[in-house]
Amino acid sequence: MVRSLKDIIRSSSIHVCLINTGGCNGCDIEVVALLSPRYDLEQYGIYVHNNPREADVILVTGAVTEQWVEKLRRIYTKAPEPKIVVALGNCPLTGDVFNQEGGSVYAPVSDFIPVAAEVSGCPPRPSEILAAILSVAPGAIAARGREKK
Amino acid sequence: MILPIGPIHPGLKEPLRLKLKTQGEKVISAQIDYGYVHRGIERVMQGKTWQKAIYLSERVCGICSYIHTQTFAETFEKIAGEQVPLRAQYLRVLTNELDRIQSHLLANSTYFKALEHETLFMYMLALREPVMDAIELLTGNRVNMGWNVVGGVRMDAQESHLKSIMEIITDLEKEYPRYVEMFDQGPLLGLRSKDVGKMSREDAIKARAVGPIGRASGIKHDWREDHPTYHDHLDFETIWRKDGDNYARTMNRFDEITVSIDLIKQVIENIPPGDVRKKVDILAGYADWRNEAPRGEVSYMIETNGNLIQNISIRTPSIMNIDACAKYMLQDVATVADAVATYASVDPCIACTERVVIVDESGKKKDVEGIHNLELS
Repeated sequence: MVRSLKDIIRSSSIHVCLINTGGCNGCDIEVVALLSPRYDLEQYGIYVHNNPREADVILVTGAVTEQWVEKLRRIYTKAPEPKIVVALGNCPLTGDVFNQEGGSVYAPVSDFIPVAAEVSGCPPRPSEILAAILSVAPGAIAARGREKK
Repeated sequence: MILPIGPIHPGLKEPLRLKLKTQGEKVISAQIDYGYVHRGIERVMQGKTWQKAIYLSERVCGICSYIHTQTFAETFEKIAGEQVPLRAQYLRVLTNELDRIQSHLLANSTYFKALEHETLFMYMLALREPVMDAIELLTGNRVNMGWNVVGGVRMDAQESHLKSIMEIITDLEKEYPRYVEMFDQGPLLGLRSKDVGKMSREDAIKARAVGPIGRASGIKHDWREDHPTYHDHLDFETIWRKDGDNYARTMNRFDEITVSIDLIKQVIENIPPGDVRKKVDILAGYADWRNEAPRGEVSYMIETNGNLIQNISIRTPSIMNIDACAKYMLQDVATVADAVATYASVDPCIACTERVVIVDESGKKKDVEGIHNLELS
Protein backbone atom coordinates (compact mmCIF):
# COMPACT_ATOMS: atom_id res chain seq x y z
CA MET A 1 0.00 0.00 0.00
CA VAL A 2 2.68 2.44 1.07
CA ARG A 3 4.80 1.29 -1.83
CA SER A 4 2.13 1.93 -4.47
CA LEU A 5 1.35 5.30 -2.91
CA LYS A 6 5.04 6.15 -3.13
CA ASP A 7 5.05 5.16 -6.80
CA ILE A 8 2.15 7.49 -7.55
CA ILE A 9 3.90 10.36 -5.82
CA ARG A 10 7.25 9.68 -7.41
CA SER A 11 5.79 9.73 -10.89
CA SER A 12 4.85 13.38 -10.46
CA SER A 13 7.69 14.43 -8.17
CA ILE A 14 11.00 13.54 -9.72
CA HIS A 15 14.30 13.95 -7.91
CA VAL A 16 17.29 14.37 -10.17
CA CYS A 17 20.96 13.72 -9.46
CA LEU A 18 23.48 15.16 -11.88
CA ILE A 19 26.75 13.29 -12.30
CA ASN A 20 29.56 14.83 -14.32
CA THR A 21 31.81 11.95 -15.27
CA GLY A 22 34.39 14.09 -17.02
CA GLY A 23 32.93 16.46 -19.55
CA CYS A 24 33.59 20.08 -20.39
CA ASN A 25 30.91 21.41 -18.06
CA GLY A 26 28.78 22.66 -20.93
CA CYS A 27 25.93 20.21 -20.30
CA ASP A 28 26.05 20.94 -16.58
CA ILE A 29 25.55 24.65 -17.07
CA GLU A 30 22.65 23.91 -19.39
CA VAL A 31 21.10 21.93 -16.54
CA VAL A 32 21.70 24.95 -14.29
CA ALA A 33 20.04 27.11 -16.96
CA LEU A 34 17.03 24.79 -16.66
CA LEU A 35 16.58 26.00 -13.08
CA SER A 36 16.23 29.57 -14.29
CA PRO A 37 12.82 31.24 -14.33
CA ARG A 38 12.64 30.96 -18.10
CA TYR A 39 12.60 27.14 -18.19
CA ASP A 40 11.60 26.60 -14.56
CA LEU A 41 12.24 22.91 -14.06
CA GLU A 42 10.40 22.82 -10.76
CA GLN A 43 7.00 23.60 -12.21
CA TYR A 44 7.14 20.14 -13.83
CA GLY A 45 7.76 18.55 -10.46
CA ILE A 46 11.46 18.00 -11.11
CA TYR A 47 13.91 18.86 -8.38
CA VAL A 48 17.69 18.86 -8.91
CA HIS A 49 19.62 18.24 -5.71
CA ASN A 50 22.60 16.05 -6.62
CA ASN A 51 22.06 13.39 -3.99
CA PRO A 52 22.18 9.89 -5.49
CA ARG A 53 20.60 8.30 -2.41
CA GLU A 54 17.23 9.89 -3.06
CA ALA A 55 17.37 10.25 -6.82
CA ASP A 56 14.76 8.90 -9.23
CA VAL A 57 16.55 10.13 -12.33
CA ILE A 58 20.32 10.11 -12.74
CA LEU A 59 21.53 12.57 -15.37
CA VAL A 60 24.95 11.51 -16.62
CA THR A 61 27.14 13.95 -18.50
CA GLY A 62 30.75 13.54 -19.52
CA ALA A 63 32.83 10.88 -21.19
CA VAL A 64 33.64 8.62 -18.17
CA THR A 65 37.24 9.27 -17.18
CA GLU A 66 39.41 6.70 -15.45
CA GLN A 67 38.40 7.85 -11.97
CA TRP A 68 34.75 7.32 -12.73
CA VAL A 69 34.76 3.77 -14.05
CA GLU A 70 34.20 2.16 -10.65
CA LYS A 71 32.57 5.12 -8.94
CA LEU A 72 29.82 5.37 -11.54
CA ARG A 73 28.69 1.79 -10.88
CA ARG A 74 28.82 2.40 -7.16
CA ILE A 75 26.76 5.56 -7.34
CA TYR A 76 24.23 3.79 -9.53
CA THR A 77 23.72 1.07 -6.92
CA LYS A 78 23.21 3.71 -4.24
CA ALA A 79 20.16 5.22 -5.95
CA PRO A 80 16.92 3.56 -4.81
CA GLU A 81 14.75 1.55 -7.22
CA PRO A 82 13.02 2.39 -9.49
CA LYS A 83 15.63 4.59 -11.16
CA ILE A 84 16.13 5.97 -14.63
CA VAL A 85 19.40 7.03 -16.24
CA VAL A 86 19.39 9.78 -18.83
CA ALA A 87 22.64 10.28 -20.75
CA LEU A 88 23.10 13.93 -21.57
CA GLY A 89 25.12 15.22 -24.49
CA ASN A 90 27.42 13.54 -26.95
CA CYS A 91 30.10 12.60 -24.40
CA PRO A 92 28.25 9.82 -22.57
CA LEU A 93 26.95 8.48 -25.88
CA THR A 94 30.18 8.26 -27.86
CA GLY A 95 32.95 10.07 -26.00
CA ASP A 96 32.58 12.93 -28.48
CA VAL A 97 35.84 14.74 -29.29
CA PHE A 98 37.76 13.18 -26.42
CA ASN A 99 37.36 9.66 -27.75
CA GLN A 100 40.40 9.81 -30.02
CA GLU A 101 43.89 8.48 -29.86
CA GLY A 102 45.49 9.78 -26.69
CA GLY A 103 42.32 10.62 -24.83
CA SER A 104 41.74 8.80 -21.58
CA VAL A 105 37.98 8.28 -21.66
CA TYR A 106 35.90 5.14 -21.40
CA ALA A 107 32.67 6.14 -23.11
CA PRO A 108 29.91 5.13 -23.69
CA VAL A 109 28.19 5.23 -20.33
CA SER A 110 25.89 2.35 -21.32
CA ASP A 111 28.86 0.00 -20.86
CA PHE A 112 28.68 0.63 -17.13
CA ILE A 113 25.07 1.33 -16.26
CA PRO A 114 21.78 0.82 -18.14
CA VAL A 115 20.71 3.98 -19.94
CA ALA A 116 17.01 4.69 -20.53
CA ALA A 117 17.22 7.82 -22.66
CA GLU A 118 19.88 9.58 -24.66
CA VAL A 119 20.00 13.24 -25.58
CA SER A 120 22.55 14.12 -28.21
CA GLY A 121 24.00 17.56 -28.74
CA CYS A 122 27.10 19.38 -27.60
CA PRO A 123 25.52 20.58 -25.40
CA PRO A 124 21.82 19.85 -25.89
CA ARG A 125 19.48 22.80 -25.47
CA PRO A 126 17.76 23.12 -22.08
CA SER A 127 14.34 22.49 -23.63
CA GLU A 128 15.61 19.21 -25.10
CA ILE A 129 16.95 18.07 -21.72
CA LEU A 130 13.60 18.90 -20.13
CA ALA A 131 11.69 17.07 -22.85
CA ALA A 132 13.90 13.99 -22.44
CA ILE A 133 13.40 13.81 -18.68
CA LEU A 134 9.65 14.30 -19.00
CA SER A 135 9.28 11.83 -21.85
CA VAL A 136 10.92 8.99 -19.97
CA ALA A 137 10.76 9.57 -16.24
CA PRO A 138 7.16 9.60 -14.93
CA GLY A 139 5.90 6.70 -17.02
CA ALA A 140 9.03 4.62 -16.62
CA ILE A 141 9.17 5.11 -12.87
CA ALA A 142 5.52 4.10 -12.52
CA ALA A 143 6.06 1.04 -14.75
CA ARG A 144 9.15 -0.09 -12.86
CA GLY A 145 7.25 0.37 -9.60
CA ARG A 146 4.52 -1.95 -10.86
CA GLU A 147 7.10 -4.51 -11.99
CA LYS A 148 8.54 -4.63 -8.50
CA LYS A 149 5.22 -5.66 -7.02
CA MET B 1 37.64 14.85 12.09
CA ILE B 2 37.94 14.86 8.33
CA LEU B 3 34.70 15.76 6.59
CA PRO B 4 34.71 14.67 2.95
CA ILE B 5 32.53 16.66 0.54
CA GLY B 6 32.04 15.43 -2.99
CA PRO B 7 32.65 14.33 -5.68
CA ILE B 8 28.85 14.24 -5.94
CA HIS B 9 27.38 16.70 -3.50
CA PRO B 10 24.47 19.12 -3.47
CA GLY B 11 26.86 22.02 -2.93
CA LEU B 12 29.08 21.26 -5.88
CA LYS B 13 28.28 21.45 -9.56
CA GLU B 14 31.31 19.50 -10.62
CA PRO B 15 33.18 16.47 -9.34
CA LEU B 16 35.87 17.32 -6.82
CA ARG B 17 36.61 16.10 -3.34
CA LEU B 18 36.98 18.65 -0.58
CA LYS B 19 38.42 17.21 2.62
CA LEU B 20 37.66 19.57 5.45
CA LYS B 21 39.47 19.08 8.74
CA THR B 22 36.92 20.11 11.30
CA GLN B 23 36.75 20.63 15.03
CA GLY B 24 33.08 20.68 15.93
CA GLU B 25 31.52 23.03 13.41
CA LYS B 26 34.77 24.91 12.82
CA VAL B 27 36.84 24.21 9.72
CA ILE B 28 40.55 24.22 10.52
CA SER B 29 42.04 23.41 7.16
CA ALA B 30 41.11 21.92 3.82
CA GLN B 31 42.60 19.65 1.23
CA ILE B 32 41.47 19.17 -2.34
CA ASP B 33 41.50 15.98 -4.36
CA TYR B 34 41.56 16.45 -8.12
CA GLY B 35 41.57 14.08 -11.01
CA TYR B 36 37.95 13.30 -11.76
CA VAL B 37 37.71 15.10 -15.09
CA HIS B 38 41.08 14.48 -16.71
CA ARG B 39 40.43 13.64 -20.36
CA GLY B 40 43.85 14.11 -21.91
CA ILE B 41 42.96 16.97 -24.24
CA GLU B 42 46.54 18.14 -24.76
CA ARG B 43 47.61 14.67 -25.79
CA VAL B 44 44.70 14.36 -28.23
CA MET B 45 45.65 17.69 -29.80
CA GLN B 46 49.21 16.62 -30.57
CA GLY B 47 49.79 15.70 -34.19
CA LYS B 48 46.66 17.41 -35.44
CA THR B 49 46.12 20.42 -37.67
CA TRP B 50 44.62 23.52 -36.06
CA GLN B 51 41.28 22.84 -37.71
CA LYS B 52 41.07 19.56 -35.83
CA ALA B 53 42.36 20.98 -32.55
CA ILE B 54 40.46 24.24 -32.14
CA TYR B 55 37.21 22.56 -31.22
CA LEU B 56 39.07 20.51 -28.62
CA SER B 57 40.40 23.69 -27.05
CA GLU B 58 36.82 24.93 -26.82
CA ARG B 59 35.92 21.87 -24.79
CA VAL B 60 38.58 22.42 -22.17
CA CYS B 61 35.93 24.32 -20.29
CA GLY B 62 32.29 24.80 -21.15
CA ILE B 63 31.69 27.96 -19.15
CA CYS B 64 34.54 30.05 -20.53
CA SER B 65 34.68 28.13 -23.81
CA TYR B 66 35.02 31.25 -25.94
CA ILE B 67 38.32 32.58 -24.62
CA HIS B 68 40.07 29.24 -25.17
CA THR B 69 39.49 29.33 -28.92
CA GLN B 70 40.50 32.98 -29.08
CA THR B 71 43.76 32.33 -27.26
CA PHE B 72 44.40 29.26 -29.42
CA ALA B 73 43.85 31.26 -32.62
CA GLU B 74 45.90 34.22 -31.41
CA THR B 75 48.84 31.95 -30.59
CA PHE B 76 48.89 30.74 -34.19
CA GLU B 77 48.56 34.32 -35.42
CA LYS B 78 51.52 35.26 -33.23
CA ILE B 79 53.64 32.47 -34.76
CA ALA B 80 52.73 33.78 -38.23
CA GLY B 81 53.28 37.39 -37.10
CA GLU B 82 49.94 38.56 -38.44
CA GLN B 83 47.04 40.53 -37.06
CA VAL B 84 43.45 39.78 -37.93
CA PRO B 85 41.25 42.45 -39.56
CA LEU B 86 39.99 45.15 -37.19
CA ARG B 87 36.35 44.14 -37.55
CA ALA B 88 37.23 40.60 -36.49
CA GLN B 89 39.13 41.96 -33.49
CA TYR B 90 36.08 44.00 -32.47
CA LEU B 91 33.78 41.00 -32.89
CA ARG B 92 36.13 38.93 -30.73
CA VAL B 93 35.95 41.54 -27.99
CA LEU B 94 32.16 41.61 -28.28
CA THR B 95 31.81 37.84 -27.85
CA ASN B 96 34.45 37.73 -25.14
CA GLU B 97 32.64 40.32 -23.07
CA LEU B 98 29.23 38.67 -23.56
CA ASP B 99 30.83 35.42 -22.42
CA ARG B 100 32.34 37.15 -19.41
CA ILE B 101 28.96 38.57 -18.40
CA GLN B 102 27.24 35.19 -18.52
CA SER B 103 30.11 33.50 -16.71
CA HIS B 104 30.17 36.08 -13.91
CA LEU B 105 26.39 35.95 -13.53
CA LEU B 106 26.56 32.17 -13.30
CA ALA B 107 29.39 32.35 -10.76
CA ASN B 108 27.49 34.80 -8.58
CA SER B 109 24.31 32.75 -8.86
CA THR B 110 26.24 29.68 -7.67
CA TYR B 111 27.54 31.69 -4.74
CA PHE B 112 24.03 32.79 -3.78
CA LYS B 113 22.86 29.20 -4.08
CA ALA B 114 25.63 28.18 -1.70
CA LEU B 115 24.37 30.85 0.71
CA GLU B 116 20.85 29.40 0.23
CA HIS B 117 19.60 32.75 -1.03
CA GLU B 118 17.23 31.29 -3.61
CA THR B 119 15.76 34.65 -4.67
CA LEU B 120 19.01 36.20 -5.85
CA PHE B 121 20.02 32.87 -7.39
CA MET B 122 16.90 32.99 -9.56
CA TYR B 123 17.37 36.68 -10.38
CA MET B 124 20.92 36.06 -11.55
CA LEU B 125 19.85 33.19 -13.79
CA ALA B 126 16.97 35.29 -15.13
CA LEU B 127 19.46 38.05 -16.02
CA ARG B 128 21.75 35.50 -17.65
CA GLU B 129 19.24 34.07 -20.13
CA PRO B 130 18.98 37.20 -22.35
CA VAL B 131 22.78 37.31 -22.50
CA MET B 132 22.78 33.68 -23.64
CA ASP B 133 20.28 34.72 -26.30
CA ALA B 134 22.66 37.45 -27.45
CA ILE B 135 25.49 34.92 -27.71
CA GLU B 136 23.26 32.56 -29.65
CA LEU B 137 22.18 35.36 -31.98
CA LEU B 138 25.75 36.31 -32.73
CA THR B 139 27.43 32.91 -32.96
CA GLY B 140 24.63 30.39 -33.45
CA ASN B 141 25.29 28.43 -30.28
CA ARG B 142 24.67 28.89 -26.61
CA VAL B 143 27.68 27.25 -25.00
CA ASN B 144 30.33 25.87 -27.35
CA MET B 145 30.29 28.53 -30.01
CA GLY B 146 32.75 27.47 -32.68
CA TRP B 147 33.18 31.14 -33.48
CA ASN B 148 36.94 31.66 -33.76
CA VAL B 149 39.23 30.51 -36.52
CA VAL B 150 42.91 31.23 -37.05
CA GLY B 151 42.74 34.51 -38.97
CA GLY B 152 39.51 35.95 -37.69
CA VAL B 153 36.00 34.85 -36.87
CA ARG B 154 33.80 32.42 -38.72
CA MET B 155 31.01 34.73 -39.85
CA ASP B 156 30.12 38.38 -39.94
CA ALA B 157 27.60 39.94 -37.58
CA GLN B 158 24.64 41.60 -39.23
CA GLU B 159 23.52 45.10 -38.33
CA SER B 160 20.23 43.77 -37.01
CA HIS B 161 22.10 41.37 -34.71
CA LEU B 162 24.21 44.15 -33.30
CA LYS B 163 21.06 46.21 -32.76
CA SER B 164 19.34 43.39 -30.88
CA ILE B 165 22.44 42.80 -28.75
CA MET B 166 22.51 46.51 -27.93
CA GLU B 167 18.88 46.31 -26.78
CA ILE B 168 19.57 43.26 -24.61
CA ILE B 169 22.59 44.94 -23.06
CA THR B 170 20.72 48.20 -22.41
CA ASP B 171 17.94 46.25 -20.69
CA LEU B 172 20.50 44.40 -18.59
CA GLU B 173 22.17 47.65 -17.61
CA LYS B 174 18.84 49.09 -16.48
CA GLU B 175 17.72 46.11 -14.38
CA TYR B 176 21.04 45.05 -13.02
CA PRO B 177 21.86 47.72 -10.34
CA ARG B 178 18.76 46.66 -8.39
CA TYR B 179 20.18 43.20 -7.76
CA VAL B 180 23.63 44.52 -6.96
CA GLU B 181 21.97 46.72 -4.36
CA MET B 182 20.07 43.72 -2.98
CA PHE B 183 23.40 42.03 -2.35
CA ASP B 184 25.24 45.14 -1.28
CA GLN B 185 22.61 46.36 1.19
CA GLY B 186 21.20 43.02 2.33
CA PRO B 187 22.07 42.72 6.03
CA LEU B 188 22.04 38.92 6.21
CA LEU B 189 23.96 38.50 2.98
CA GLY B 190 26.51 40.95 4.33
CA LEU B 191 26.85 38.94 7.55
CA ARG B 192 27.42 35.73 5.61
CA SER B 193 29.86 37.33 3.15
CA LYS B 194 31.93 40.04 4.81
CA ASP B 195 35.10 38.88 6.57
CA VAL B 196 34.48 35.28 5.53
CA GLY B 197 37.17 33.40 3.62
CA LYS B 198 39.71 36.20 3.78
CA MET B 199 42.88 36.09 1.73
CA SER B 200 45.50 38.81 2.12
CA ARG B 201 47.47 40.26 -0.78
CA GLU B 202 50.65 38.44 0.26
CA ASP B 203 48.85 35.12 0.40
CA ALA B 204 47.23 35.78 -2.97
CA ILE B 205 50.65 36.40 -4.51
CA LYS B 206 52.05 33.26 -2.85
CA ALA B 207 49.16 31.18 -4.15
CA ARG B 208 49.39 32.88 -7.57
CA ALA B 209 45.71 33.80 -7.48
CA VAL B 210 44.53 35.34 -10.74
CA GLY B 211 41.46 36.98 -12.17
CA PRO B 212 38.66 38.36 -10.02
CA ILE B 213 39.93 36.33 -7.05
CA GLY B 214 43.37 37.90 -7.18
CA ARG B 215 41.94 41.33 -7.94
CA ALA B 216 39.59 41.11 -4.95
CA SER B 217 42.66 40.56 -2.78
CA GLY B 218 44.44 43.63 -4.09
CA ILE B 219 46.40 42.38 -7.09
CA LYS B 220 45.63 44.99 -9.72
CA HIS B 221 46.26 42.94 -12.79
CA ASP B 222 44.18 42.26 -15.87
CA TRP B 223 45.59 40.80 -19.07
CA ARG B 224 43.09 42.79 -21.08
CA GLU B 225 45.23 45.86 -20.37
CA ASP B 226 47.98 44.34 -22.50
CA HIS B 227 45.81 42.93 -25.24
CA PRO B 228 46.34 44.93 -28.47
CA THR B 229 42.65 45.42 -29.27
CA TYR B 230 41.71 46.61 -25.79
CA HIS B 231 44.88 48.61 -25.45
CA ASP B 232 44.66 50.48 -28.78
CA HIS B 233 40.97 50.91 -29.42
CA LEU B 234 38.93 50.58 -26.26
CA ASP B 235 38.62 52.31 -22.94
CA PHE B 236 38.28 50.37 -19.76
CA GLU B 237 39.47 50.33 -16.22
CA THR B 238 40.57 47.42 -14.09
CA ILE B 239 38.34 46.73 -11.12
CA TRP B 240 40.06 45.72 -7.93
CA ARG B 241 39.46 45.64 -4.22
CA LYS B 242 41.50 45.24 -1.07
CA ASP B 243 39.35 43.19 1.30
CA GLY B 244 39.85 39.73 -0.15
CA ASP B 245 36.73 38.22 1.41
CA ASN B 246 33.69 36.57 -0.17
CA TYR B 247 31.94 39.90 -0.38
CA ALA B 248 34.83 41.50 -2.27
CA ARG B 249 35.04 38.63 -4.74
CA THR B 250 31.34 38.73 -5.50
CA MET B 251 31.26 42.51 -5.78
CA ASN B 252 34.33 42.43 -7.97
CA ARG B 253 32.51 40.20 -10.42
CA PHE B 254 29.44 42.44 -10.28
CA ASP B 255 31.55 45.49 -11.08
CA GLU B 256 33.35 43.72 -13.89
CA ILE B 257 29.98 43.05 -15.50
CA THR B 258 29.45 46.84 -15.57
CA VAL B 259 32.80 47.26 -17.29
CA SER B 260 31.89 44.54 -19.80
CA ILE B 261 28.58 46.23 -20.57
CA ASP B 262 30.44 49.46 -21.22
CA LEU B 263 32.95 47.67 -23.49
CA ILE B 264 30.17 46.03 -25.50
CA LYS B 265 28.56 49.44 -26.04
CA GLN B 266 31.86 50.88 -27.23
CA VAL B 267 32.35 47.97 -29.61
CA ILE B 268 28.87 48.18 -31.16
CA GLU B 269 29.11 51.95 -31.56
CA ASN B 270 32.58 51.96 -33.12
CA ILE B 271 32.77 48.69 -35.04
CA PRO B 272 34.44 49.35 -38.40
CA PRO B 273 33.28 47.77 -41.67
CA GLY B 274 35.52 45.30 -43.50
CA ASP B 275 36.54 41.68 -43.64
CA VAL B 276 36.19 39.35 -40.70
CA ARG B 277 38.70 36.75 -41.78
CA LYS B 278 42.00 36.61 -43.59
CA LYS B 279 44.34 33.88 -44.61
CA VAL B 280 47.06 33.20 -42.06
CA ASP B 281 49.86 30.84 -43.00
CA ILE B 282 50.76 28.25 -40.42
CA LEU B 283 54.50 28.58 -39.92
CA ALA B 284 56.84 26.35 -38.00
CA GLY B 285 57.68 27.78 -34.61
CA TYR B 286 56.76 28.27 -31.01
CA ALA B 287 54.70 30.94 -29.33
CA ASP B 288 52.85 31.55 -26.13
CA TRP B 289 49.93 33.86 -25.62
CA ARG B 290 47.90 34.91 -22.63
CA ASN B 291 44.40 36.25 -22.32
CA GLU B 292 42.09 37.24 -19.55
CA ALA B 293 39.40 34.59 -19.19
CA PRO B 294 36.42 35.28 -16.93
CA ARG B 295 38.29 33.43 -14.16
CA GLY B 296 41.73 34.91 -14.80
CA GLU B 297 44.74 34.33 -16.94
CA VAL B 298 44.64 31.55 -19.50
CA SER B 299 47.81 30.82 -21.44
CA TYR B 300 48.56 28.64 -24.43
CA MET B 301 51.99 27.44 -25.42
CA ILE B 302 52.05 25.91 -28.88
CA GLU B 303 54.84 24.44 -30.99
CA THR B 304 54.09 23.62 -34.62
CA ASN B 305 56.07 22.20 -37.50
CA GLY B 306 54.31 24.31 -40.11
CA ASN B 307 51.30 22.09 -40.37
CA LEU B 308 50.71 19.95 -37.31
CA ILE B 309 50.74 20.80 -33.64
CA GLN B 310 53.78 19.15 -32.10
CA ASN B 311 53.40 20.27 -28.54
CA ILE B 312 50.75 22.16 -26.71
CA SER B 313 50.38 23.19 -23.12
CA ILE B 314 47.35 24.91 -21.69
CA ARG B 315 47.35 26.72 -18.38
CA THR B 316 43.98 27.63 -17.01
CA PRO B 317 43.20 30.02 -14.15
CA SER B 318 41.05 27.79 -11.96
CA ILE B 319 43.89 25.60 -10.73
CA MET B 320 45.61 28.54 -9.04
CA ASN B 321 42.38 29.90 -7.64
CA ILE B 322 41.21 26.58 -6.21
CA ASP B 323 44.61 26.03 -4.64
CA ALA B 324 44.48 29.52 -3.15
CA CYS B 325 41.07 28.68 -1.76
CA ALA B 326 42.22 25.45 -0.13
CA LYS B 327 45.46 26.85 1.26
CA TYR B 328 44.56 30.31 2.45
CA MET B 329 40.81 30.91 2.44
CA LEU B 330 39.63 27.71 4.11
CA GLN B 331 41.70 28.27 7.24
CA ASP B 332 39.78 28.72 10.48
CA VAL B 333 36.40 29.24 8.88
CA ALA B 334 33.63 29.48 11.46
CA THR B 335 31.23 26.90 9.99
CA VAL B 336 31.11 24.21 7.33
CA ALA B 337 28.37 26.17 5.54
CA ASP B 338 30.73 29.13 5.28
CA ALA B 339 33.45 26.86 3.93
CA VAL B 340 31.17 25.66 1.11
CA ALA B 341 30.15 29.28 0.38
CA THR B 342 33.81 30.33 0.30
CA TYR B 343 34.57 27.54 -2.11
CA ALA B 344 31.68 28.66 -4.34
CA SER B 345 32.87 32.28 -4.22
CA VAL B 346 36.13 31.27 -5.88
CA ASP B 347 34.16 30.34 -9.00
CA PRO B 348 35.81 26.95 -9.33
CA CYS B 349 35.76 25.28 -12.70
CA ILE B 350 36.99 21.72 -12.42
CA ALA B 351 36.82 20.94 -16.13
CA CYS B 352 39.54 23.55 -16.68
CA THR B 353 41.87 22.38 -13.99
CA GLU B 354 42.40 18.80 -14.96
CA ARG B 355 45.54 19.09 -17.04
CA VAL B 356 47.63 16.33 -15.53
CA VAL B 357 47.09 13.14 -13.66
CA ILE B 358 49.86 11.20 -11.94
CA VAL B 359 49.55 7.45 -11.85
CA ASP B 360 52.02 5.06 -10.26
CA GLU B 361 52.94 1.72 -11.77
CA SER B 362 50.09 -0.21 -10.20
CA GLY B 363 47.62 2.21 -11.80
CA LYS B 364 46.74 3.98 -8.59
CA LYS B 365 46.29 7.71 -8.62
CA LYS B 366 48.97 9.63 -6.79
CA ASP B 367 48.78 12.91 -4.97
CA VAL B 368 49.51 15.98 -7.06
CA GLU B 369 51.36 17.45 -4.09
CA GLY B 370 54.34 15.22 -4.76
CA ILE B 371 54.70 16.41 -8.34
CA HIS B 372 57.92 18.34 -7.66
CA ASN B 373 59.67 15.27 -6.25
CA LEU B 374 58.68 13.12 -9.17
CA GLU B 375 61.49 11.67 -11.26
CA LEU B 376 60.59 11.51 -14.91
CA SER B 377 62.09 8.58 -16.74
